[in-house]
Amino acid sequence: MTVTVPAGLSSIGLRWYESGQSGLDGPLLRLAQECDRAFQALASIWGAQEERHPAALPAERLQRLDYLHSFPSQASFPARLDPAHLTEFLAAEPVTAAGEVALTPLAPVSSVLTPAACYHLYYGHEGQSFTAPLFLTTANTCFRNEERYEPLRRQWSFTMREIVCLGTHAETVNYLEQARAAVDEFLALAELPVTWPAATDPFFQPRTNPRYLMQRLQPSKHEATYGGDLAIASVNLHYDHFGAAFGLRRDGQAVNTACLAFGIERWLYALTDRHGLDPASWPPLVEAAATVARRRAGHVPTPPTPPTPPAVGGPSPAPPTPPAAQEDRR
Amino acid sequence: MHSESAMRQALREWVLGKATDLDPAELTGTTALFEERHLRSLHVPELLLLLERLRGEPVDVEDLRAGDFRDIDTLMAKFGPVRTSL
Repeated sequence: MTVTVPAGLSSIGLRWYESGQSGLDGPLLRLAQECDRAFQALASIWGAQEERHPAALPAERLQRLDYLHSFPSQASFPARLDPAHLTEFLAAEPVTAAGEVALTPLAPVSSVLTPAACYHLYYGHEGQSFTAPLFLTTANTCFRNEERYEPLRRQWSFTMREIVCLGTHAETVNYLEQARAAVDEFLALAELPVTWPAATDPFFQPRTNPRYLMQRLQPSKHEATYGGDLAIASVNLHYDHFGAAFGLRRDGQAVNTACLAFGIERWLYALTDRHGLDPASWPPLVEAAATVARRRAGHVPTPPTPPTPPAVGGPSPAPPTPPAAQEDRR
Repeated sequence: MHSESAMRQALREWVLGKATDLDPAELTGTTALFEERHLRSLHVPELLLLLERLRGEPVDVEDLRAGDFRDIDTLMAKFGPVRTSL
């Protein structure tokens, strides 16, 4: 299906690819960079430590979260040719007239392209124990296969910035209250109106998925929604879903987690839709976020402290618990 | 379709079958089944099927709202037999 790119967005730096991906340059690229700096400034409210992670996750780790049962239609995989069949691959034209790779047998696929930036944070701290809440932030290119794509609004690959709290249940609930309030202050300064409806994730076969049903019965996800249908940020309470899956402990119990997530391309859409295409009319986002951070600096009850190292003998994750047995949310 | 008392009793027995640490004397109509961790998310699909069997008609999951599965009284009020007046 051919998607029409609004001419105005093209004129300020949007390149659209039929694969459902976008490229940026010029004013739009600078706006994307400013968005991320603003979100990092918000992360400083909690002293969140920055981390950088690769483009893919081990499938085994992701499946501890039941991801491939819950979202098989959205998963994308990095595939490699089986070295034993390279001669066969080279014997034919590698790309067909239709633009498809003429694949020969593939090497085993054991990774999944990152579907959400925060998964790396839980997996990356596997087996650790904490004595105080830990705040982390990371950004990554995320991949979600969809039936249709729309420039900046719904893409196969997009940029996600997340700010995560690992702590007790009370600490994670408190964090999300603060996070939502901080985002509201930031949005007010950016003159970007949103509503915060409860939301569910796009589970495959939702009727039989306990996590979907629990999202309806105990809403744990709220989305900052611009224009009635575009989620530009979300706050998510995961309970001990990730803590149990990756052996993250706090005071002898599986740690609770919560995240604040921003979809940067969607912010580009919302900001240009609201404030127009002239960069001179765009709000000073980093300044606004710094203002929010200053205002809220005294509101954070507990500063983060580094985690204690794993017990002697290296990381000792708890045995994987069937994800559906945990209170959940990605 | 089961009578109200039969449906309530069936729900109670099912909950006690899952929450094996729960003293039957402590299970009342207002015991918070999920908040107090007597039941977990794993149990929700089975509970949904049980409700459909007891009431004799399907439940539209898109109509589920926060708190609908909180306790047995709420389950009965939301999914129990419809009372008809004479």
